[in-house]
Parts: sequence; C-alpha cells; structure tokens
Amino acid sequence: MLIISNLSARVAGKDILKGVNLVVNPGEVHAIMGPNGSGKSTLAQVLAGREDYEVTGGSVSFEGRDLLGLPAEERARAGLFLGFQYPVEIPGVNNVYLLKAALNAKRKAAGQPEVDAYDFLALIKQKMKLMQMSESFLSRGVNEGFSGGEKKRNEILQMLVLEPRLAILDETDSGLDIDALKVVSQGVNSLRDPQRAVVLVTHYQRLLDYIVPDFVHVLVGGRILKSGDRTLALELERRGYDWVQESNAA
Amino acid sequence: MSAAARPIMSAPPASPALRSIEALWLARTAEAGARAADDPLEALRSQAMHRVMALGLPGSRDDTWRYTNLRSVLARTFVHVPDGQAPGAEDADADAVDSLVGPAARAATVLVVNGRPILSPPDGNGNNLLQISRLSDLSRPDIEKIQGQLGLPSDAEEARWALLNAALFADGLHVRISGALDEPLVIRHLLRSEFPNGLVHPRVLIELTSGASATVIEHYVDRGRHPPLGNSVTQLVLGHHSRLEHYRVFSTSAAAEHIDSLTVRQAGHSHCRQFTAVLGGGLVRTALHAHLSAAGAELDCHALLVGHEARQVDCVNIVAHDARDTRSRQTARAIASGTSRAAFNTKVVVNRGAVHAESEQSFRGLILSPSAEIDSRPQLEIHADEVKCAHGSTTGRLNPDMLFYLLSRGLDRRTAQTLLVYAFLADVLTGMSVACARAAIETALVPQLPDSKILEEFR
Repeated sequence: MLIISNLSARVAGKDILKGVNLVVNPGEVHAIMGPNGSGKSTLAQVLAGREDYEVTGGSVSFEGRDLLGLPAEERARAGLFLGFQYPVEIPGVNNVYLLKAALNAKRKAAGQPEVDAYDFLALIKQKMKLMQMSESFLSRGVNEGFSGGEKKRNEILQMLVLEPRLAILDETDSGLDIDALKVVSQGVNSLRDPQRAVVLVTHYQRLLDYIVPDFVHVLVGGRILKSGDRTLALELERRGYDWVQESNAA
Repeated sequence: MSAAARPIMSAPPASPALRSIEALWLARTAEAGARAADDPLEALRSQAMHRVMALGLPGSRDDTWRYTNLRSVLARTFVHVPDGQAPGAEDADADAVDSLVGPAARAATVLVVNGRPILSPPDGNGNNLLQISRLSDLSRPDIEKIQGQLGLPSDAEEARWALLNAALFADGLHVRISGALDEPLVIRHLLRSEFPNGLVHPRVLIELTSGASATVIEHYVDRGRHPPLGNSVTQLVLGHHSRLEHYRVFSTSAAAEHIDSLTVRQAGHSHCRQFTAVLGGGLVRTALHAHLSAAGAELDCHALLVGHEARQVDCVNIVAHDARDTRSRQTARAIASGTSRAAFNTKVVVNRGAVHAESEQSFRGLILSPSAEIDSRPQLEIHADEVKCAHGSTTGRLNPDMLFYLLSRGLDRRTAQTLLVYAFLADVLTGMSVACARAAIETALVPQLPDSKILEEFR
C-alpha cells in the first residue's frame, strides 16, 4: 500500500529525514517511535504533502501511485489521512461544513454523488457518539476553543467520517488523559480492517497498549534504525532511545 | 451678477479640479439667479464654497489623505452632470429590487440618482414613523429646523470634500424616523453619466428621534460608460435612547471613484451600529466622523475592505468621545489582492470630561498577492482620566498551517482559500443582523477572491 524508499527531506534549510525506508501493507498497523527531533512529525507531514517541507531524495508510492507527485488535496482524496499533532484552530470555518466538504471532495474524486444532507447528519451524530463528543461541536468553528483532548477526538472523528485507506496519526496520544486515550483508541480500532492501514507516530508505548501494532520502528536522526514487533516498544520503554543509538553504533 | 457669482480668489494655487469646481459654482449661481435669495440653504452653500476655495482641496501631504491617491482627480476638469438622466420607470423598479436585501421585506426603498431622490409621493407619506422627503420639497420652516443638522463641516482637511458637498449638492434626502421600524429602509444610490468627468454630490440626512430604532442600508452602484466622481455625505443624527444599524455598501464598477463622508452625532444612551463594506470601485475613500456627545452613547463600527485588482480603498475613521461613559468599538478587516491597496487610518479622541470612556480599535489585514499593499494607522489621543482605550493592528498573509489543514482534508485549493478568507472576514460579517444583506455581501465577495495561481506565486 505504502512504499517509502530512501526518503530524504529538508525543513527550513535543515536536513531532517536522511533516507527513510518503510513498507506498509493493507491491514497492518505500524508504530513509529523515536526521541524528540528525530523526524517523526516531518515524515508524517511530508507524506501528507506539506509544501514547505522540501523532499530532497527518494520516492514514495501509495497504492501504486507516485505520492510525492500529488498535491496534498489529491493525496487526501486518494485515501491518505493525517491526524495532526497540533490541529489548527480555524475560527469562522464551521466544523460540520469542513467535514461535509471533505467528504464530498473524496466522493467526487471517486465519481460518487454528494452525500445527502440527512444521511450526513446521521453519520456525524453516530460517529460523534462513538467519540463521546458533545453536540455543541456541530455549531463551532474548526477546533475553535477546543481543549487539547477535544482537538484529538475531532481528528479521529474526521478520520472516521472520511474512512481513509491509510491513516497517519501524529502523536494523537499526546495531551490525552487516560479516558480520552481509550476513546481515541477505540475510534482508531473501529477502523481497522484488512483493507486499511494505520501508521501511528508516538513518543510513548502507552498508546500501543490500546492500539496494538503489528510492527514498531524506531526513527532516530532521520533514519529508521530498528524495526521489530510490539515487544520492541516495551523494550524501548525499559531501556530508552539511547539504547537504540548505542546498539546501532556498535 | 449677484455677489456670490464673482470669482472667488483661492489662496493655494488652484488645481484644474478646483478651477473647474469654481466654474461649476459660478454657473450654478448664475442659473439660480434670483431664486437663490429664497433658498434658506444658499448662505450655507456660499460660505462652504468660499471656504473650499480658500483652503483648497487636500492632497497626499494632508494627514488623512496620505493613503488616497487623488492626483488624477485633482488634474481633472469637472463638468456638470445634467439632470434628466433618471432611469425609466422599469429601470427604477429593477434597480430598486436589485438591491442588497433582494426580495426581502423592507420599510421602503428610495432610489437616489446622482444625488436626486426619485420619490413616489404616496409611498413616502403613508407611514408616520418614517418620513422621507427631498430636501428641495421641504418648506422653509422645515429646512430651518434641520439647518443646524445640515450645518457646515469643519475646516479640517478630512472634511474638505464634505464642505464641497455642502456647497454643491443638487438635492438631498431627508429621512426622519420617529418609532421602531421593523424592516430595513433601503437607499439605493445610482451614479450615472454619459459623459466623462462628471461630479455629483449625493446628500442624505437621517434623523432618529428619541427612542426610535431602525436599520438603514445605503448601497452605491453606478451605470453608464462614465460614472461620475461621487462625493457623498450622509449624516446620522441619533436622539436619546435611539438605536440605529446603518450600512453603507459600495458596489461600484472598477471605473468608478468615490469619496464618502459619514458623520454620526449621538445623543445620550443612543446606540449606533455601523457597517461599511467596500466591495467595488476603482477608488473608494470612506470617512466616518463620529461624535459621542452625551453620556452613555455607544458606537460600534465595522469595516470590510476588499482590495481587488487595482482598487484603492481608504478608510478613515475619527471618533470623538465628548462625554462621560461613552463607548466606541471599531473592527476592520481588509483583504488585498492584485495590485490593490487598502488603508485603515483611524483616530480615537477622548476629550476632556469624557471620563470612563471606553474605546477599542481592532484591525486585521490579509495580503493575498505580492503586489498588494495594506496600511494601517490606529491613533489614540486621550485628554481625560480614567479611560479604557485599546488598539490592535496586524497584517499578514494567509496562514499556511490553516491552508495545509484544509488541503489535507481534500478540499481544493480555491475552496480552502475562499473559506479562509471568509473566516478572516467573519468577525465583521457575523455582526450584520440583516441576514439577506450579509448573504448578498458574501456573494459579492466570492468573485473577488484571488486566483489560486497568484497565491502560489506569492508563497
């Protein structure tokens, strides 16, 4: 589904990604862990198509298409979703309007008609219930005045409505209390199926207790230094990231 | 020849514009002849004209005109725009409906062509709460009653074109509201001329008596190949405890130039909500002079300045707090694309005795193309103690994080940008309580949002 080959990228003149390789198949959940500044978020943003992040080398194929050749909006319509680490507040743009516009953009790209207004509202309400969000959300601006936890729930809500083929969730667990973490995890798990894949970017192994990954990768200094199954996350928790760097140097 | 018809010596070297204006004045005076003696406003006109000639027309060196490029205006030789260019009945009906409120209910619609109100007598007089008259139809005692309101603008440079209006307005509209009007009153100004270099002086006086409340929408449009320069003056006079929501919306064509002056005088505990929206025109200068002259007077003014293509928009607000416990809030949002230029030049003056006055000025500008320019200059002059005054001004580009967020959800770039520009203007738009006017303004905005290619170039 996703094949990242030797990907390098630069942000504000600084090389951040220095040859990332990763293959994600349908049905898989991958966790990318790593210390601060290792390039995790950069990788997520580059995959989603952030234009001010300059790709300096390598290639990315998504369902057989050259992902890097597509603008951000086309990546989204092709079924790629980025759950932001810091979802931006956009006062004046209504949440529901955005959701509907996003869903219709995707449907249009797939040659489907626009969603019926009644069906759409029913869908939103059902997903909001799953995410335990209050109905006041419907009338508010995008993330406007949301707490950190509400913003993350909103990201997952958007994901549930858009049903992406590949979800990249950038530190979706940060800033969540344990109850919110459970709700968010439940949302992500509800989308797991053999046709979809999830890439979780996270600092902490805590999230992986709730969303159990098939693979864990450790990103340090812009490269994946180690990959393994979920036990790698537990080992990282015990031994810290220095251990990866040391064992790699050795 | 009457005394007033003699050429007036001007102190500063007269521009071609000023010389032609003097010629227009002389022609007018000669034509008015003996009738002028009976006109109670004649003395006012004459005084105003002498002062214009003595003081000259302002230029870019004058403080409140620094952002209005009047060079081409001052180089022009203005000509009289003959009457008889009123639209036919069908045209008038179409224009009346095709106003900002669409088919929605309204208290009345008045069409004003080049400053001359076209009134159908039965409509205007049916409603006791709402009296609409042509200034030229008012009896001498009526004129004398409002003479003080019509008054003479000050000598200040910012009021110079208003002074010229006082000298040369052909006719005007007088509106008196003496109760609660449930539906908006729509005043549609049509500027039209078949010949170049026309100059017209629309004038409107709106009075609200004590306790009255109303919504008034003034909408400026133009027709014809050579829209005349509009030099309009609207005066709002609010009685005690009255409430007014006033809109002035400029939807003129790219060839049109307009200089508008709005004065607001507020008695105690009156509340004025004012919306200025510049959605069209080649050059539009809007001035607002407000006097909060009695305790408890409150003014909220909001401006929506849309710079598009080569448009110049200059918004000058001067708000004077003359009494205690007065409040003013100014919100302005400007966007500029193409090679347009938008300016927001404001001053709040808290005069002595205006204790516990509160004022806020909030300006935000959004630059949408590399060749556009936005200037802002919030000023504050405080001569009283125990006042609360705040101002904030920021100008920038479209927020790339917001744009990326929307694109990452699959929205196309143009939709995303449109949404963000809307969001940026939302503070002002959401305050408009006339839903149909707001919707019409939003609709007019869309075609003026920049092309995505231009923005890409800019990034």
